[in-house]
Amino acid sequence: MLPAIFLLLACQLAGEAIHRLTGLALPGSVIGMVLLLGWLALVRRETPRLVAVTGWLTAHLAVMFVPAAVGLIDEGPVLSRYGAALLSATLVSTVMTIVVTALVFRWALVRFVAVDPDAPSPTAKQGSSEEAAR
Amino acid sequence: MTGLLTDTLFWLTVTLGVFEAFDTLSRRCGRHPLLHPVLWSTPVLIGLLAATGTPYATYSAATFPISFLLGPAVVGLAVPVWQQRERIARMAVPIALALGAGAVTSIVCGAGIVWLFGAPVEIIASIAPRATTTPVAMAIAGQLGGVPALAASVVLISGVLGAMIATPLLNLLALRDYRTRGFALGVSSHGIGAARAFQVDATAGAFASLGMALNAIATASLLSILAILL
Repeated sequence: MLPAIFLLLACQLAGEAIHRLTGLALPGSVIGMVLLLGWLALVRRETPRLVAVTGWLTAHLAVMFVPAAVGLIDEGPVLSRYGAALLSATLVSTVMTIVVTALVFRWALVRFVAVDPDAPSPTAKQGSSEEAAR
Repeated sequence: MTGLLTDTLFWLTVTLGVFEAFDTLSRRCGRHPLLHPVLWSTPVLIGLLAATGTPYATYSAATFPISFLLGPAVVGLAVPVWQQRERIARMAVPIALALGAGAVTSIVCGAGIVWLFGAPVEIIASIAPRATTTPVAMAIAGQLGGVPALAASVVLISGVLGAMIATPLLNLLALRDYRTRGFALGVSSHGIGAARAFQVDATAGAFASLGMALNAIATASLLSILAILL
């Protein structure tokens, strides 16, 4: 496990260093993600350890936002003033993003991917898609 | 005895305990989006802080071991993207176009609407990274002069909302392809959306994780460029 944890921390640290040196507004962890992607492209292999560690982290992502969310306790005045604006903006933005992304994706799939080996066969999926639609 | 309330051990244990309780409830109820554990642990913990008169700064310091893990977790999002590289390469154009359109829509709609309400820059900066995963949104919000805690809750609400409405919404549009459905949900509603997509279909889940990871990069880059220009 240790080599995988070291790799993640090293990428984050390098990302943080790049962030501070260049003044790039990208967070260090996001730069670290790009660096890890570059590292994987370089060594051409993800170790099972790395997959296990990142899988564990991703599976427990939810609990990691709790301490930050509790910070709302100090935002009472802002929330009572702009709560309605934030809520309606979040609602509209979420709906619009899903719709626009899906429509553009569908249009571009038809337009740009001529041979599409991933395409689901329409007959095989019919039953299950109705099921999952709920 | 009173010293215990300022102790790392105390708040770390309480936070994990409260979260675990709601997580178990959520699992028992088939991961219903309205029972998302963060949605319920947060008000309960806020109540506990208020009841014990503990300042948030104390709580935040005590729970640092949990929040620290966000950084490595974001770095680790590179792994699912890497594992899907062949599929991504094949569908690079649709992915890039849909991602760009989705990221811009999310920023413009979110930031634009609060701006119309006359909100100050700290509010606008807190909602602009709405569609990204929490650690990324918090980092971007902090960078642009927003409030990380506000960004975290807007992100959370986006996730729960997306998980609730995606299926009926996409059915309405007659979009049946699971790649399209998953990708849209991941771009708009990050990890919570991806978790929902995995419940429906494995392909949808894979494309949702891809959408989440790519949008973290896209939104962060777009907003960084915007911050430099403004």
